[in-house]
Amino acid sequence: MNALIKLELARALRNRKFLFFSVIYPSVLFLLIAGQADSKTRIDGTGLTLPTYMMVSMASFGALTAVLMGNSERIAKERESGWVRQLRLTTLPGRGYVLAKTASAAVVSLPSIVVVFVVAAAVKDVRLEAWQWLALTGAIWAGSLVFAALGVAIGYLASGDAVRPITMITYFGLSMLGGLWMPSSTFPQWLQDIAEWLPTHAYAAMGQAIEQSQVPHARDVTILAVFFVLFAGGAAWLYRKDTLKA
Amino acid sequence: MPGAVAATMVPMTTTVKATATEVVAFDQVSKSYGDVRAVDGLSLKLHPGETVALLGPNGAGKSTTLDLLLGLKHADSGSVRVFGTSPREAIVAGHVGAMLQSGGLMDEVTVGELVRLACALHPKPYKANDVLARAGIAQIADRKVNKLSGGQAQRVRFALATAGDSDLIVLDEPTTGMDVSARQAFWATMREQADQGRTVLFATHYLEEADAIADRVLVLHRGRLLADGTAAEIKAKAGARRVSFDLEGPVDETALRALPFLTSIKVSQSGAAEDGGRTVRIQSTDADATVHAVYGLGVYPRNLEVAGLGLEQAFVAITTAEEAKQS
Repeated sequence: MNALIKLELARALRNRKFLFFSVIYPSVLFLLIAGQADSKTRIDGTGLTLPTYMMVSMASFGALTAVLMGNSERIAKERESGWVRQLRLTTLPGRGYVLAKTASAAVVSLPSIVVVFVVAAAVKDVRLEAWQWLALTGAIWAGSLVFAALGVAIGYLASGDAVRPITMITYFGLSMLGGLWMPSSTFPQWLQDIAEWLPTHAYAAMGQAIEQSQVPHARDVTILAVFFVLFAGGAAWLYRKDTLKA
Repeated sequence: MPGAVAATMVPMTTTVKATATEVVAFDQVSKSYGDVRAVDGLSLKLHPGETVALLGPNGAGKSTTLDLLLGLKHADSGSVRVFGTSPREAIVAGHVGAMLQSGGLMDEVTVGELVRLACALHPKPYKANDVLARAGIAQIADRKVNKLSGGQAQRVRFALATAGDSDLIVLDEPTTGMDVSARQAFWATMREQADQGRTVLFATHYLEEADAIADRVLVLHRGRLLADGTAAEIKAKAGARRVSFDLEGPVDETALRALPFLTSIKVSQSGAAEDGGRTVRIQSTDADATVHAVYGLGVYPRNLEVAGLGLEQAFVAITTAEEAKQS
């Protein structure tokens, strides 16, 4: 299985478009949003400055892009092309394909997190304790697994022309409503009430709690855990269904 | 392939890789999709060292049969054993290499990378460079998989199927998309595989391939086995050889139709004039007796030709006869 992980990874790292959108683009977006903001004003209810706040949002956004965008479309395509069938004629265990996809996405999502941190620290003077940088990286990286599972589920759910629009709607919907692009405290109240329950909101909130030197809220962790079980369970169920259909 | 031919007659010979059991054993296997019975009570056995062609019109159940054999689909009833175990176990043990018609390739990687992956996934792998060379794709090893022609992609699939020392090689329509010379080169490679004592099972639309390469031909129709034997036996089963000759002047068609051992006869005008010669085409189950009787009519047949049916005609004859029986 290591051979497949290596090859998946080599392929991902060779895909410039994918690397741009998952590794460079979040940092660019960070600079666009936080570039003009001064480093004094605090965002309501968080005590964090806009750059500090947006750094976590964009790191989360980058990780989300890396794990969600690549896999869903590729899995759908490779199911259709028959590559998944061909792999079933090898010794690779059934779940090996999905694991290799997830592992390679996880490797790409790490730089997309770190690059945002480096840009934020260098350009916008975001300063945190060493343990906070480490905890942030770990939390955002681990949390991206939730969306990796979602990507796999979409890949097995949708096919053909449908997979891209479904991925896009899910991706933009989760990013925007979850408050990755702008603090959800700027939303009207009714929208805030919805946003609070989204996995992306919990995802960014987990990082922001770390920035505030707090332990992530149990509620956010629970929401993420529940979504992980839902997505991973859904992916496993769809995978099994697809395998029986061959 | 004298060794392989002998294997048809005698299931075990010393030239063949020794295997305790049949390579493949289908026992009363059925598989339906909704109301359609794709495979209907199929029983068959493949023996070590055989090169077997699986023939059948579209929808005969060839692909489903191969999918069942490879464990990609599961039978509704009956049992499928490969090397005495389940298909999946046989694959995990490295006994089976397969090339699917519907087998896609991972794109955006090079041919070489893909073949190295296949070698890494095989329990008894060959060196990737050897696999590339044998499949005739060493010179395109650096090319991206999504930039290949249809024939090249088929060769890559073949390389994936032969990445290791498998005992059974399954090929579904392997030469689709190849031109004539590529096809010949492909079968030359395949023969080497068979000569090393491997069992080869292939499905094809090109009947001349089955005729030239297979020691044994299985004819599948509506999910059932219609015929099982050597190409010569299948041709004999279809009844017949072709006899054709020209006759000059007026022809007594009634007398011709009364010839012995006829399965079909067609009399057509051989010249422009109405009272000119006729060309007679006959299919006969005993061509010698039929020709003898033609001379008995007191006519002088010219341009006499007696030929065996091609496998293609035999195949058409067998399947049409079956269609007629069923309707």
